[in-house]
Amino acid sequence: MSVPSRTRLGLQALAAIAATELVAQTAQARTAKLLVFLHVALKQRAFESELQAALPGLEVRAVGRLGDFERGLEDGQDAVLSLPALLDSHGLSGKLQGMRGGSPEERYSLVGAGAVPDPARVAAVGALDLLGRDGTNAFVYALLGAKPKVERVTKFEDLLPLIQMQKVDAILLPTRLLSDLQSVSRLTLTQRELAKLVKLPAVASAGAGGAEALAAIARMPAKVSRTLGVDEWR
Amino acid sequence: MALNRRSFLLGLPLVAGGLGCSANSGTAVTRARSPGRLASADSPGKPTVLVCMPDTKQTREVWSGLKDELAGHFALVAVDVDGDRGNEVLSRAMGELHPVCVVLMNNPTVFAYARYQATAGLASYPPAIVVMTSFLDRRPTAIAGATGISYEVPLITVVTNLRKLMSSPVERVGVIRRMPLHSFVTRQAELARREQIGVIEQPVSLDPNAAELKYALREVKQHCDAIWVLNDDRLLSERLIADGWLPGLNERPYKPAIVGAASLVSPGQSFGTFAVLPDHGALGVQTANRVFDLADANFKLTDHDEVDSPLSTTTTVDLVQARERFALRQDALEQVDHILE
Repeated sequence: MSVPSRTRLGLQALAAIAATELVAQTAQARTAKLLVFLHVALKQRAFESELQAALPGLEVRAVGRLGDFERGLEDGQDAVLSLPALLDSHGLSGKLQGMRGGSPEERYSLVGAGAVPDPARVAAVGALDLLGRDGTNAFVYALLGAKPKVERVTKFEDLLPLIQMQKVDAILLPTRLLSDLQSVSRLTLTQRELAKLVKLPAVASAGAGGAEALAAIARMPAKVSRTLGVDEWR
Repeated sequence: MALNRRSFLLGLPLVAGGLGCSANSGTAVTRARSPGRLASADSPGKPTVLVCMPDTKQTREVWSGLKDELAGHFALVAVDVDGDRGNEVLSRAMGELHPVCVVLMNNPTVFAYARYQATAGLASYPPAIVVMTSFLDRRPTAIAGATGISYEVPLITVVTNLRKLMSSPVERVGVIRRMPLHSFVTRQAELARREQIGVIEQPVSLDPNAAELKYALREVKQHCDAIWVLNDDRLLSERLIADGWLPGLNERPYKPAIVGAASLVSPGQSFGTFAVLPDHGALGVQTANRVFDLADANFKLTDHDEVDSPLSTTTTVDLVQARERFALRQDALEQVDHILE
């Protein structure tokens, strides 16, 4: 075997450098992927379109069920936007925290039709399913300080039928969403705000493009952030 | 919009498929070794839930929601029991798997399970949850130990959805019904009163012709803000759609028509303005919750195990018709799942 000449070594080094640069450029050219799992007062299709329009440099996927979220994670993501409770349960930590009125937390309310619901006395409560059966039950129990039967629903709009059809005594939701419920119902909705606070949405980095996604979300138009209950990102 | 009856009639097979949750649409889930086996989710050492279903796009969505929820807690096996070998497939699955609960999707599957029970002659059967069958609003009597989730979206949900879309008030809803659906409509009207929705019933004979239907439609349109079209296959025959519903709905005064089959909404046909249908993935989750409830009760049905209504829906709009004839709320399209234009 002959010893490689200087010329050949030089060409090999150049080829290696070029290949490295090509890989780096390809990585940079790839659009960062953002997975979103949040319950909002508009349809998932409209929510995803709104986010995608606000974040043109990212590939946005909004999901409405835990199973779809977990499949989305398996597909590989650069960033994940959801409630910190969900991020924690999947080993992710929020790097960008949503804030409203200077606070990273918000209040939840127990809402019923007729008499004001008493957290200690409700037998069945409707709740948005973010954490699966066991996780959502634990979330509700912690907020109420009681252990009622929990009826989980997959969409915000599905909470109202639970009280319309008297399947539950009350429903649990972020207080900010109560006005959306009142605008479409003629039931006499009564509310009890709960003492315990829940953290607002946050963004976790989950891949190489995470920093890019976080930066884009931090610059997102205020109108879109407000859909998530957030008025600034820190 | 111009009415095109010929193109509408060409689309009717889709209507039939949509209403009947046809077993003939879509492709196979996973063809497995055992006859009739469609899919499974193993969970060693866990009790088995047997799911009897045809292989369609809609049933696969229900299966997906069911599997996401129950996998890890139960072993799941899906079999197709419709057709000539249905009884053999069911008998084998019941004998081999000893399920703690059976989920039955669509009418033919329920009939097959009823036939199985009639021939098996056992002292008891695991509880069955019936989904995706027409007008199931009470516990099924043809099967021992059954409860379920009805497939009809309740009127109260339909109108709540409509109110999110229309800028004009929706206070009174007109419905044309035959006698067999009188008690169903009465129960729906009672529930709808909670949201201050009035129901105007316009009865027709058991076998109405197009003229009778068109007359009923003209009458009811004078007194209502929207028309609720029941999934009554006798009222949705080719002839009645073409010669009764379409001419009746396409003359003034225009009223939005809410239908229960996606195939009845088409920008080229001006029948349904909106379709409000069960969300099949969420229906799977709701079914799974019934399985968990039964598990909590050691798989014994109680008097509390009544038939539920589907909680989650999807909304489709014929945007061409809606924009041409009605005023929509500014944010209406944010509340719609599928827009046809």
